[in-house]
Amino acid sequence: MRISFNWLKKHVNLSSSITAEEVAEKLKLSTVEVENVESQGKDLENIVVGKIVSAEKHPQADKLKLCQVDAGEKLQIVCGGSNVREGMLVALAKIGAKVKWHGEGELVELKLTTIRGVESYGMICGATEIGLSGMFPPKDEKEIIDLSEKVKEKTIGKPLAEALGLNDTIFEIDNKSLSNRPDLWGHYGLAREVAALLGKALNDYKIKPIKSSKNEIDLKVEVKDTKLCPRYMAVAISGIKITESPDWMRQSLIAAGLRPINNIVDITNYLMLDLGQPMHAFDAKKLTNIIVRQAEKGEKMILLDDVKVNLSEADLVIADSEKPLALAGIMGGETSGIDETTDTIIFESANFNAATIRKSSVRLGLRTDSSARFEKSLDPIVCETALQKAVEFTLEFCHGATISSRLIDVANFTVAGGPLEVDKNIFTKKLGVEIPEKDIKNILERLGFEIKDKSRVWMVKIPSWRASKEISIVEDLVEEVARIYGYDNIQSATPLFPMIPPEENDIRKLEHLFRTILVRNLAYDEVYNYAFVSREQKEKFGDDGEYVELDNPISKEKPLLRRSLVPNMLENAAKNIEYFSPVKILEIGKVFWPDFNGPRTKEKSDELLPRQDVWLSAVCADKKNEIPFTVARRTIEVIMNELNLPVTIKKLPSTKLWMHPTRSGEVVIGEKTLGFIYEVNPVTAKKFGLDIRVGILEINLNEMAEIVAGSKIKTYEKLSEFPEVLRDLAFTVAKKIEHEKIAEDLSGIDKLIKKIELFDVYEGEHIQKDKKSMAYRLTFTNPEKTLNSAEVDKVMEQVVVLLHKKYQAEIRA
Amino acid sequence: MKDKLQKLKSEALAVIKAIKDDAGLVDLENRLLGRKAGELTELMKGLKDLSDEEKRTVGQLANEVKKEIEEELAVKKNELWEKNSSGELEKETVDISQPALPSQECGHFHPNSIVQKDLEDFFVSMGFKILDGPELESDYYNFAAVNIPADHPARDMQDTFYIKDHSDWVMRTHTSSVQVRAMQKYGAPLRMIVPGKCFRNESTDARHEHTFYQLEGVVVDKNITLAHMKGVLEAVAKHLYGSETKVRLRPKFYPFVEPGVNGEVTCFLCGGKGCRVCKYTGWMEIFGAGMIHPNVLKEGNIDSMKYQGFAFGFGLTRLVMLKYNIDDIRFLESGDLRFIKQF
Repeated sequence: MRISFNWLKKHVNLSSSITAEEVAEKLKLSTVEVENVESQGKDLENIVVGKIVSAEKHPQADKLKLCQVDAGEKLQIVCGGSNVREGMLVALAKIGAKVKWHGEGELVELKLTTIRGVESYGMICGATEIGLSGMFPPKDEKEIIDLSEKVKEKTIGKPLAEALGLNDTIFEIDNKSLSNRPDLWGHYGLAREVAALLGKALNDYKIKPIKSSKNEIDLKVEVKDTKLCPRYMAVAISGIKITESPDWMRQSLIAAGLRPINNIVDITNYLMLDLGQPMHAFDAKKLTNIIVRQAEKGEKMILLDDVKVNLSEADLVIADSEKPLALAGIMGGETSGIDETTDTIIFESANFNAATIRKSSVRLGLRTDSSARFEKSLDPIVCETALQKAVEFTLEFCHGATISSRLIDVANFTVAGGPLEVDKNIFTKKLGVEIPEKDIKNILERLGFEIKDKSRVWMVKIPSWRASKEISIVEDLVEEVARIYGYDNIQSATPLFPMIPPEENDIRKLEHLFRTILVRNLAYDEVYNYAFVSREQKEKFGDDGEYVELDNPISKEKPLLRRSLVPNMLENAAKNIEYFSPVKILEIGKVFWPDFNGPRTKEKSDELLPRQDVWLSAVCADKKNEIPFTVARRTIEVIMNELNLPVTIKKLPSTKLWMHPTRSGEVVIGEKTLGFIYEVNPVTAKKFGLDIRVGILEINLNEMAEIVAGSKIKTYEKLSEFPEVLRDLAFTVAKKIEHEKIAEDLSGIDKLIKKIELFDVYEGEHIQKDKKSMAYRLTFTNPEKTLNSAEVDKVMEQVVVLLHKKYQAEIRA
Repeated sequence: MKDKLQKLKSEALAVIKAIKDDAGLVDLENRLLGRKAGELTELMKGLKDLSDEEKRTVGQLANEVKKEIEEELAVKKNELWEKNSSGELEKETVDISQPALPSQECGHFHPNSIVQKDLEDFFVSMGFKILDGPELESDYYNFAAVNIPADHPARDMQDTFYIKDHSDWVMRTHTSSVQVRAMQKYGAPLRMIVPGKCFRNESTDARHEHTFYQLEGVVVDKNITLAHMKGVLEAVAKHLYGSETKVRLRPKFYPFVEPGVNGEVTCFLCGGKGCRVCKYTGWMEIFGAGMIHPNVLKEGNIDSMKYQGFAFGFGLTRLVMLKYNIDDIRFLESGDLRFIKQF
């Protein structure tokens, strides 16, 4: 929103020593975000008033004129303006001035130029070229500004900004920072704030009551739902002549960024910018009566600017008995608006339900100056002020105009003005700073609150313009005091707490631990991916589980919530393998399982959200490694070693589509499955653009955290007093024989066997094709005495026998 | 014999002194102490012909002479080694500019993890719990519970991902969704932070992402004031940007706090003088904060007459980008290792 500093000064007496920048800084620190402070004449440097002394045809060009211009000095200018004539006062941009060529693009600095062989010492400007189209709306593209009627001859050679009285400064205010302050959507409200901030007096808003003597027009207004329209005021005025509005009003509108239209529309716009109250003017001839109602389903209407809309029951319209006249609070209708022939108008000054206006404007994509205000919850009291002022202006601007209906006021509202009972200590208690009572009182009163003193408490009455929305509890008053008192004046302090260590987050601890192990010890790189996957990814991956789907995805591309981290990571791997090999990546994040129960949607509610566990996934793709299963296997071993937990890798009851059927297993601790290690099925990998093998580890950290929390610390084991005996044994067996089985069998042979370590597996040369060589180291110990070699030999014999009998193992040397 | 020994000793020591190289030293050692024909060895063979008394005194002398010669030889040997080795080492040059080969593989953390871990540790050191909550959240916890009712314009500010067939489920738009969950679970007093992933339905470009990270903080106790909030924000700012950093609060509306402020810190790049990063204001907007709205405490089953507190939040993603001077937000979730391997 653009706020004119001159306009503000009409409402609040600021001494001339206070600059616009100072006011803006105050507002920034205590009220709203002022994004920019700009003086109006800033871009008009080196542009002066000039008089065309002569205008002759350019010797080389039919459409150009060669002008001699008096601009304090005599200058020769080549001009292509369609309306250029001798004696005209014009806006002359001298060399060094900045203009927009043809009103487009960036500002360009003027230089001495030669146009078709004739030198030109500047440029006679059109309105769009120097940003004045609001003040001088051009009729055609080649028109130049005609200042003859606007400025006096004595201004010739003077800066244009000065001659036009462009001495205003404009505050650009971020609308978002105003979203909770309906009272600040007009200059008067902002002036009130400035007055409070600077301790200056706010001028009364002078209004005259509306005196309707005649009743020529029998104005009938019916409000169907008073919740949606708490107040509707209207009055008719006859004897209107549609003309331009006075210069001061036009100038004010332009300063605030609106284009002047005609006297009546300008009045409504001016009051919207002044009081924050959007108004509307109907042509009385074009309607029979006024009904404020919800639109009918499927009802259509054409709005101003030829905007066609399809309405629904959620929209509020102003209608007569036959047709909708306006979309309430958003935009007027095409058929009911005023035009040059209008002689009788009906002013509307109403208050509408904020949510209704907001929803309609969002749904219909119509964000207007009016809807922006109504959706903030306006003060219904202001309807009356605005209407009174509108009538006053109209009677003043149109001589002979008269009020020609009774004043309609359908009012069904209450002002939630309190009073609030406020403990005087609450300000210190909340802010942690002692502010003297009289200062608190003074701040609140300056903002329009009325205060009654009752020993320990104040009874605080909320002014109507603050009561429509945002001030309703004591904390709101604390904020008022804090921001005006100044946050800078509140000394920071340190809260004191009993020295109790915070409860630990077990899952987060595991996240950090695993991340660190994988990155530091195993050289994984950590990636973050979106929580979303595409249908295509789902298809390629082959997970037939249930997916949560977004209702409004950004692109149709990835509408599903991931059930696993792996599909996005396979895409990462495919992209990165072009640059790196191996690609070893890890991700930690939540996955979404709608087929399992997650957290409650609300306390005590039975409705549960999908389960959202945190998983760790590690992916390895290496052009040089044909069995990256081993990388996944090592990863889980290193992790488990760190945690000191006994993990086993078990065959899956049934492998998933995306897993290699014989190179996959589940990670099991005790009875619990915590995750999977596998190679991606080469068919799946290929679909993701990977024609190499990919090893994967997936662990559910929620489950893991539970196991870790329940696990016992592994305690120290007594060192054996007697020496251990080591024996190595190598043998060949069929490839399909598994280590786990062998180890299990061997450990059962004799209790002298303390440890069984597999230290080598070999397939290839010197071994039969369907066989492998396995080498074990067995550790023997007896806690009671020194072992002799005969005892060990005896056990070893049993080992050999078992291996031979059960696994047809052939012992190697 | 004693004289002979003394003579041998003084001659030997003189010769040892004059020796110039290892070879000479070895020769000399052989000549003097050689087992078969060493001069001293030979001399000592004469011991057996002496009387017991003489044997003892001369024997002792002989041993002393031997020891002395050996010591001098050792000294000389060391002297020669030191002298030689300085020359030898010259020839042992390695290319110190060459990296160790084969290179040690090493992994890389995501930059967000680095910043998040640092802040988690910082807050834990001040007694904060680290919490988490569902990313797929109920409308209630994301909006209504934090004082954003259905019609509230605040919902305009957040373009939300909604879930098909579950109109009251959303992808959380902020970590504030965990506020009421935490209050319900832990009650008051409470000190907690929630770093986590958030979602907004906006199209991505270099500055905007639909997925990003926030860090939310809450402190509730009997006498927690806005001055305390300022103190904690200052501690965070100083942790992030150095002990000279200042914090400035300005009013800003958030439905879940009252009063609500945004917290700016002096620009870490220019120290407040004004530069491109802070858009020539000297300040960078980092925090959203405020005193927790009584409605929020109420939803969390905390008696707002007895307890009060503050909440604050900031964009982790934004801190990461500022810290590492990352100019395109999309890199963070690109999975591009050319990017990740820089951290």
